[in-house]
Parts: sequence; C-alpha cells; structure tokens
Amino acid sequence: MHDAMQCLYCQFPEALTAGLLISAVCALLGVFVILKRAVFIGITLSEVAACGVAVSFLIGIPPFVGSLALVLGAVSLFARPYENQRIPRDTLMGIIFIAATALTILLVSKSGPGLMEINAVLYGDLILASSKELKILFAILTPALLLFLCVLRPTLYSFMDREGSKVLGIKTWIWESLYFLMLGVIISAASQIAGALLIFCYLVVCPAAALVASKRIWIVLIAAPLMSMLATFIGMVVSFNFDLPTNQTICMTSCILFAIISTACWIYRKVIPITHNH
Amino acid sequence: MNETIITCSDVCIAYGRQEVLHGINLKIPRGAFLPFTGPNGSGKTTLLRAILGLVPIRHGSIQTPFQKCPAGYVPQHRIIDPLYPVSVMQIVEMGLYPERRLFRPLTRAQKQRAADALDQLGMVEHMQKNFRELSGGMKQKVLIARALVCEPDVIIMDEPTSELDEKSEQDVLQHLMTLNRDQGKTILMVHHDLELVQELTHTTCRFRHGNAEIVTLDRAEADHA
Repeated sequence: MHDAMQCLYCQFPEALTAGLLISAVCALLGVFVILKRAVFIGITLSEVAACGVAVSFLIGIPPFVGSLALVLGAVSLFARPYENQRIPRDTLMGIIFIAATALTILLVSKSGPGLMEINAVLYGDLILASSKELKILFAILTPALLLFLCVLRPTLYSFMDREGSKVLGIKTWIWESLYFLMLGVIISAASQIAGALLIFCYLVVCPAAALVASKRIWIVLIAAPLMSMLATFIGMVVSFNFDLPTNQTICMTSCILFAIISTACWIYRKVIPITHNH
Repeated sequence: MNETIITCSDVCIAYGRQEVLHGINLKIPRGAFLPFTGPNGSGKTTLLRAILGLVPIRHGSIQTPFQKCPAGYVPQHRIIDPLYPVSVMQIVEMGLYPERRLFRPLTRAQKQRAADALDQLGMVEHMQKNFRELSGGMKQKVLIARALVCEPDVIIMDEPTSELDEKSEQDVLQHLMTLNRDQGKTILMVHHDLELVQELTHTTCRFRHGNAEIVTLDRAEADHA
C-alpha cells in the first residue's frame, strides 16, 4: 500500500495535488451550499461551465474565458433573494441545468471533433491534470479561498438571518453576491480538470458528512475539507491500485465515508444515555 | 420635550399595487415606550420594517439614527433556519457585529456582555446548546438577548412575547420597562394585548384604515369600544 501511495504521487503528482486542492476548497464552500439549501447549484454551474467550453470551441476563444462568462451569467441569476419570488431558486437551477446540458450537446454535434473526444475536454478527468492546469488552479483557487476565509463572518450571518444582518448594518447583497461569484469562478476553473460529477460530489457529500457529525459550525468548516481531502486521497489510491476511473472512485469513496460517519453518529446517539435536566 | 429620534414624513408603503399605509406622519421622541396596536393586517409590522429599512417606501421619507448606531431588532417569526449548527451564544454574538466587523475577535468584555444579556432573560445555562434544540419561547428569548447585547438606543420588536408563557412575558416586559425608564432606551413594539400594555405606558401608535397616529391608550380603547 505504501509503495502504491508513493507510486501514485510519483506518477500523478499534479493529479493528486489538484485533487486535494479542489476537494478542500469546494468542501468549504459546499457547507454554505447545503445551508443555503441550494445543493443543485454545483451540478448546474458545472454544466453551465461545460456549455461555456463548448461555446468557446465554436467561436474560437480560450475555454476558461467562455466557461467563466456563462457561469458568471448564471450566478447573477442565482444570487438574487428568492423568498418572495413565484418560483424557488432550485426550480430556476433545474431549468438552467436542462438548458445548459441540452445546448452543450447541440453545440458539440455541430463542432469539428467528435462527441467522445470533446467529452474529455468538457467534463474533465482528474488523473489527466497537467502542471499548466495545476498552476492555473492555484492562481485562482488560493486567492478565492483566502478571500472567502476573510469574509466568512458576514457571509455566515447574511446566509443565516438576512434581515437581522441588514439591521446590524451588514450589506448582505455584497456578501451573498461575492459568495456566488467565488463559487462560480472556482467551479469554472475546477470543473474542466475534475469534471461536473466530482465537483458536485465535493460540494455536497463531505460537507453533508461534516454537518451530520458536528453541531458546531467551526468544527463543520474544518472537518468538511479534511474529510474531502481524505476521500480524494483514498479514492485515488484505490483507483490507481485497481485500475478504476478516478473521478467516479473518489465519488464512491466520499459516499462510503458519508455512510460510515452517518451510521457512527446514529449509533453514538443511541448508545449514549439521555441526560435529564431536573 | 424630548428630541425626536425617528421621523416619518408623508410615508406611503405598498406591496405591488396594494397600498398598505399612506400619509403616515409620525415623530417618535427619544425615550418613548411606544406599542404599535391595531387589527391584523393594519400595517404595524410593515411600518416597523420600513423604519428598519427592510421594506422600501413608495414615497415620503423616514429619518432614523441607525446609520451610526443600529437598532436592536426582534422579528415576528423565528427566522433562523434550523439547519444552521450554531449555538445560543453564537446567535447572541451576532448582535455584536457592529463592534467586531470582519476580523476583530471577541473580547472578554464582549463575551461577558453576551452572557449577561442571556442571564437577564434566564437563558445563560443554555448558552452552549445548539439553537435549534430550543423551544419556540426559548428561541424568542435568545433573539431578544441578541437585540439587547449591543446596547442599542432604539429597540424594535415585533410581537416579542408571542411564544412566551405568562411569567416569561411579564419578566421580559418588565425588563424592557427598566431599560426604558433607567437607561432612556426608545422602544417600539408590536403587541396585541392592550390591557397588558396599559400597565407599561400611556400612549400607543394606533393603526387603522391605512393610517397611523400616536394617541393615548384611553382614547384608543374608547374608539375601539
């Protein structure tokens, strides 16, 4: 096993580093995706990013530029408050997901390369991460992560109680918009390397496991990235050992980790006696 | 006569095409204890929220001192999603944001103020509990503590005692009266129980027919009869 881990790092250092970085950053932001009850934003923005790449091929611009432009457009729709609208936010997400997925296939059908060839470009495969892509990832994700940590407090308050925050002088529209902007930029950059499914997994599964495991927000925010990085590492080792598709193996490892943690927490709550306050 | 702390000048508020309040002219003096009374749907909560800047006004103007010193606000409904894993103490600490902003950590003095705010409402023994584990009445007390912790000049509450038992309601209202009498805090409060309110103050902001005016409670009762 030790040899296998060393071999993994020797042969795919970029993939391992990219995986750990993307998993940590996405898991941290994913905690707020779940708390905002906007879980499908991850897969929607990933599909929009893929659509942007397809548009980029068609009109001959750099893929990241096309992907980012479309993602920021979608983010500007999701960042508005939806409490008093006629349809909830996740309905709009569903519509945009359908439109982006369908349009991607239509555009690809009209492009030069075939569907199979373009799939790898559109949807990414972590194991194929190159050093150039890793540098771009660091350049985008590291500042986004640092910025998010700096604005964590007003973002948490704005999400938790928008009106109470406004009364306290917190400019909620700034922090909410900034969060969705960061999410869009990160997904645009990461989904071409990691793929839509893996990004969605990072945004949802390990953050959900952390929320099940802890009742304290600060522990959740530390545990989610750690669990995500652990799932990535184990998933890559397993996929390397057994010659399995990397992205899907990491996803299954994350889901198994979620199941183990949920079961352990359930058993703990059943076994520990209830304390009575008299 | 006390200076005016909140001024509403010819305020009109509407939701879409539905006009809720029109021609509201109010001068609320500093140090007033002013319950907002009136039938359901008369616009009490709407005006309260407009004063706080949470609801846009169609025309007119509202002047408040909240740019310099935010009000302490207790909303009508419980608004914190039970999904959030936050403790009672963290909810109260949120009330200290105007002093802490983005980066400042909590000082010992601020932690003590938060604990004192909870203690005044009989909630200090629950401060490490998760907010979602509390009953409705206990959650309301925590939100009141959050509103009071930053020691605001103006406290605005929308039915703050609706989920409290009788004793807790009396205790909270007495505490508010103490803040008003001893520290000169201005208190605006939507409350439905005119009899209870009569023990605390002589004036009310009465809402009816899309308008609001400050009248004595005797007159409000007489008109109601």
